[in-house]
Amino acid sequence: MSSDVTHPPITPAQRRRLLKIMRDFHVRAFGEELARINFLPEKQRKQAVAEMIDHARRKGVKLTRPALGVTP
Amino acid sequence: MQGSNWADGNPLAFPLSASDSHFVIPYAELEEFFSLLVSTAQARGIPCAITSGMACVHFGVAATTKDCDVLCNAAKSDEFRELIARTPLRGLFPNYRGNISPPLDSRWIRGGWTSHFTWKTKPEEACLDIFGIAPRGSSSWDRELRGIYARPDVVAEMKRTNREKDWPFATALGGQMLDEGDLKGWLHLYDGDVLRLCAKQTPPPEFLSALRPLLRLFPFSDTLLLKRLLLAERAFWSELDELRVKIYQKPLRSYTAAVRRASAGGRTLDQSHEIRIECALTHLPFQPLRDYGLDRMVAEARANVGVTVGPDVLEWLPAAANHFHGL
Repeated sequence: MSSDVTHPPITPAQRRRLLKIMRDFHVRAFGEELARINFLPEKQRKQAVAEMIDHARRKGVKLTRPALGVTP
Repeated sequence: MQGSNWADGNPLAFPLSASDSHFVIPYAELEEFFSLLVSTAQARGIPCAITSGMACVHFGVAATTKDCDVLCNAAKSDEFRELIARTPLRGLFPNYRGNISPPLDSRWIRGGWTSHFTWKTKPEEACLDIFGIAPRGSSSWDRELRGIYARPDVVAEMKRTNREKDWPFATALGGQMLDEGDLKGWLHLYDGDVLRLCAKQTPPPEFLSALRPLLRLFPFSDTLLLKRLLLAERAFWSELDELRVKIYQKPLRSYTAAVRRASAGGRTLDQSHEIRIECALTHLPFQPLRDYGLDRMVAEARANVGVTVGPDVLEWLPAAANHFHGL
């Protein structure tokens, strides 16, 4: 482990590899379609999520959580 | 804000037909509505920020929620409630959601209670949850806001719940923090493969292991031990969350019954608020977690993990005493 509190910045190559690791994780954890959406630019990502949610709601999926008086 | 049609120019869109648009308020409109509410509040000097699902979407982790969760500075509860009360959605004014919702009042919000609001749009309500304390928060949530959103580390800490589905969100947010050069992202990675592979690129800084002893396993080559300790960490946060929710739920039973008895007939939000204050003064303690004892909660969660996972993992559990920031 690095003992340096002001850790050296990651190099562009390291960053590319970190991105690949996280992309693979997103596919594993959320599935290919959500992973694809998650790595879209912000505007397209929000648009794709909106379409997905509206489609589910039109199909009768209830997305509202119960009120509990406390946040889980 | 009404009637936006996402089909315009978008080949992926599921077009909203004229008849559909009468049935559901498009998510984009809800998001715009809540974003405007929060930005208006901020412009009026009310520190607040969107967190949870909508913040996850903003940070690149798609969540299928249409409700909005907002952190609000407890001292500004009255001002925020007044803003909410005077903000219509499609011509409808909001009210508290159900009889269970505690009042949005600094005395209770400071103690970690959540207030629920609803705009009774048809066929689905538009729901807003407000809280002043970020559950499991280890720092001030209102520091370095990302515009109208809370920071990714605040959102990630809130995802350490007793719900299985929340944990990949924490890891995804941690990965994003690392990508942005924020090494505290190491505190939020709960996937063995991600930890091992990221460690090959850049080691976790030593100072973080005081907060998360599991990082001492670097370079995470003992995969079975890593899996076991990740299991123990998640079990610990899950136990702590379960205990926390139970502590809040206990007084809510008598409070909800009292609000139900007092709330017959139609009420405005202001009228409903007065009723809830009266009932809360009798039934809801201001600081239920502090009354129970924060150290006691942590000790009980640790003891439970000692039984479910094993006593040998206890030395590897994170320090949780600093995760009650603001209480």
